Amino acid sequence: MTVAAIGVDAGSTTLKVAALDAAGTLLWSRLEPASPRTAEQATALLAACASEAGPGKGAPIVATGYGRDLVLGAVRRVTEITCHARGVFAQVGGACTVLDLGGQDTKVLALGASGRVLDFAMNDRCAAGTGRFLEVTAARLGLSLEAFDAAATAAHHEAVISSTCTVFAESEMVSLLARGTPVEAIAAGLHRAMARRVAALARQVGIRPPILASGGVALSGSVRRALSRELDQDVGLPRHAQLLGAVGAALVGLDPSSPGPIRVAGRPRPV
Amino acid sequence: MTLYASVRHGLAVTGGRAVLGVVRWRDTFRRPRAHPHLAPPLRSGVRLKELIARHYLKGRTASSAVPVAWVTSGAPVEPLVALGYHVHYPENHGAICGIRRVAEDLCTAAESAGWSRDLCSYARTDLGVVLTGRTPVGRLPRPDLLVCCTNICQTVLGWYQVLAERFGVPMALVDTPFLYGTAPPHALTYVERQIEVLVEAAERAAGRTLDPGRLHAVTRRSKDACTLWREVVDRARHRPSPITAFDTFVHMAPIVEMRGEACTVDYYAALLEELDGRVARGEGALLEEQVRLAWDNLPIWPRMRWLSDRLAARGAALVASPYARAWGELADLIDPERPVASAARVYLHPILNLGIGQRLAALRALARDCQVDGVLLHSDRSCRPWSSGQADIRDRLVREDKIPALLLEADHSDPRAFSEAQASARIDAFLEGLGA
Amino acid sequence: MLPVHHPRALWRAHGYLPVEVWGPPGTDATPAGAHLQPFLCSIPRCGLAFHLAGGLRDVDVVVVPHACDALQGLGSILTDLPPRPLPALTPYLPRATGEVAVAFLAAEIATLSTRLAEGSQRGPTADDLLAAALDEEAADAAFRALLDARPRISLSNAAFYEAVRSREYLPPAEFRAVAEVALAATGPVDGIPVLLSGIVPEPAGLLACLDRHGVRVVADDTACVGRRRYAPGTSTEPFRRMAEALGSGPPDTTRGSPLSERVAYVVALAAQTGARAALLAIPGSCDPELFALPVLRQALEAAGVRTLHLETDLSMPFTAQADTRVEALLESLP
Repeated sequence: MTVAAIGVDAGSTTLKVAALDAAGTLLWSRLEPASPRTAEQATALLAACASEAGPGKGAPIVATGYGRDLVLGAVRRVTEITCHARGVFAQVGGACTVLDLGGQDTKVLALGASGRVLDFAMNDRCAAGTGRFLEVTAARLGLSLEAFDAAATAAHHEAVISSTCTVFAESEMVSLLARGTPVEAIAAGLHRAMARRVAALARQVGIRPPILASGGVALSGSVRRALSRELDQDVGLPRHAQLLGAVGAALVGLDPSSPGPIRVAGRPRPV
Repeated sequence: MTLYASVRHGLAVTGGRAVLGVVRWRDTFRRPRAHPHLAPPLRSGVRLKELIARHYLKGRTASSAVPVAWVTSGAPVEPLVALGYHVHYPENHGAICGIRRVAEDLCTAAESAGWSRDLCSYARTDLGVVLTGRTPVGRLPRPDLLVCCTNICQTVLGWYQVLAERFGVPMALVDTPFLYGTAPPHALTYVERQIEVLVEAAERAAGRTLDPGRLHAVTRRSKDACTLWREVVDRARHRPSPITAFDTFVHMAPIVEMRGEACTVDYYAALLEELDGRVARGEGALLEEQVRLAWDNLPIWPRMRWLSDRLAARGAALVASPYARAWGELADLIDPERPVASAARVYLHPILNLGIGQRLAALRALARDCQVDGVLLHSDRSCRPWSSGQADIRDRLVREDKIPALLLEADHSDPRAFSEAQASARIDAFLEGLGA
Repeated sequence: MLPVHHPRALWRAHGYLPVEVWGPPGTDATPAGAHLQPFLCSIPRCGLAFHLAGGLRDVDVVVVPHACDALQGLGSILTDLPPRPLPALTPYLPRATGEVAVAFLAAEIATLSTRLAEGSQRGPTADDLLAAALDEEAADAAFRALLDARPRISLSNAAFYEAVRSREYLPPAEFRAVAEVALAATGPVDGIPVLLSGIVPEPAGLLACLDRHGVRVVADDTACVGRRRYAPGTSTEPFRRMAEALGSGPPDTTRGSPLSERVAYVVALAAQTGARAALLAIPGSCDPELFALPVLRQALEAAGVRTLHLETDLSMPFTAQADTRVEALLESLP
């Protein structure tokens, strides 16, 4: 199978590249922490893609994410909103709500039956409700993100954290620790606080089931559980959740006009 | 107004009064739990609870039985009371939601519908109530008329316009030009004309005509209650103070939402008598009063008890606030013989409609009268008109008056804008500085 | 001059050169933090910071019209506890409507005139004032013509707004000359037609972003521009005439116009100009706009106009995130 389109998602925290064949099957992908030199990093990853997945002659490169203007060789630049919508819609094929949980931004997209973005909302100003919130608070607890997720999962009860502001939540956390509250309960409380903020954003847009979470933060089971509880319905995890921006960009490359579903031939390779 | 609604309302009010009377009687004999740092609560509190409960109980069945108005806290309410309106105060209701800790949920409902988190939490709470129908007081009556007076902020204007749109009822506006200095004559005329228009709108919505005799009587009772309230807050001059600012925040409910009613006058007469008893016996609201503080701006409703306990534990008595004083200081301007013209002057002059120079002067007067050792200024995200200028006011108090002052970041209702850890660190450090 | 409505003719008649300050954008607002909390609107914070940095050195008097609680706070600080001395005038804008409001505003303008005359020894005569009012009305007519012609004018958004916003500082005759030049710039037009609402088309990156993405602002409902389409007054008494004109603009939240009137006006404006989307550029914590926002958005969406709320901060550059939002909106247009 040959590469028919390549998507590059130059996000705030990670840079992702995905190569699809003409049927929309994921052939090759790579994810790296974002370097400050976006252009060089993207070029290097595209070269890796060409050597590992085959040259893919004439395969269009579509760039998305904050660094989309810096990706050399891109024939199109599209926002990550459209790309996540395309990426999720290719799997769902109908109306749905996408929670794109990124490192610095959280976005909620409402997709119509034809895959069009009917409305979207993004977090304002602060890091509340984004990956950054979890990163900062986990670091304060001295936990890696995986351990933070595990701690929240293991919690028997949930500490009440009312602030969704990162700075305030941090100081609330300090006083909880000072009172001897178990780390697990605090971790669960923090996940809940973040979920509250995302849910508020989602309600602004209006929820159309099913709900799917994409972006790197969506990989955390505790986050999805907290979101499910807050939104009172299941929050699913699409395949390649963290890569969906890049996959969506490549889908735009395959078919720039239609947001319609791509027939996925065969099982995509696990990433 | 329908017969069925009127009969139901009559029964509910009479029955409710009886039940609440029994509850009060029972509570009178209850021995309150002893507090390690505070004197036993004021006995009048039992009656206060009854009055508030009665007010909201009346509201539950008021729709279609009596005319209903939703009004801002600084609105000229006397004509409405004289016309027999049941008057609902969304701001007071917002405070109740704050105290009962349901404000956050209601705010979230309003935010989900698109109203920004930057908007006043009273407004968000109220919009949340309107959207969801949830309230800790059971049920709110639907308004026949909205009365919006801008003498506390312009925020109420945007808020009440949304309510007018939502309920499809008329909104009477009393726009009170902000007084950077003294009130010019054209501002008084402007407000007076609008109050006349308000009376006409209220008559129309109620389907009855205002009786001048009743307006006179209601205005007289407003004046009497305001005068008594001024005396009540003024008792904080005594050492130890028989009353705390926290007490006044709670006991001010009737002067705001039952102004012009006979029970309010009686209530404050009784409260004053009780305070005078404490003064005579040399009893303070704190068991041990070491330092005396003043408070600027609205209270932090959801954390009031927390703050009260924290201060009391260190012997710090929060004795007074311009906020609670505001409802008493204009008593002399009220003239029952000229109810509309004097209302124009009164409702132009609440502290929130005055420049920050006047607010500084008010704090200075209060600090002098009540001999306070320090001032806590609540920088309230939700009350931006009151919060603007606080930094300069604090600076003048500290530099020119040598009164230590602390700016405390919070919100009057929304608990999410408050960090207990941050607040306690600041308050403790401040009190340590005062030697408490 | 701070936002929004003020009697231009009055300052001119008294021999002042009125220059409006909307922020100014790009000002480092940090120094204002000692006086105004960061949760307050960025327009008064930038204005104060600009003043503290000496930006108003050559200014004789600062005018802070009462447009909202935030400007009220700034006006009050400058009046009572100024961090740097500077005479301040603080006219109140009536939120009521009808004769009672016109009478109040006329009296308010008369009071301002008396204050200005105190400073300059020689005050203008009634004839001078009326002549100034008529001059401004002629410039207002050119301003309205320019806005009406926007769908046919081939200028970029940035160039168009530069022309239309020169009304904020140019004398009436000079503005009319600018307007004439802009009006002549008709030609083939393209771009996605949108309506711009909110307070002010700032920060500067906003218009550049729209130009970059091929957006064409065909209708303006910002407080700064579209809501100051004043009609001429009718009275021969100059203060009253100025008051009539100031109260004659389209519905405006800072004048307290009823929500239903404003929503109907904006929806109609979008329909008339064929706008496919509406951008609402609102400074953070702008109460007057934020209360109306959900109702306005709902009405526009119901009329088939996609909406995007952009929270702006005049002390900050236009962010990449805001740029993404605009682009995503365009990508999602049907």
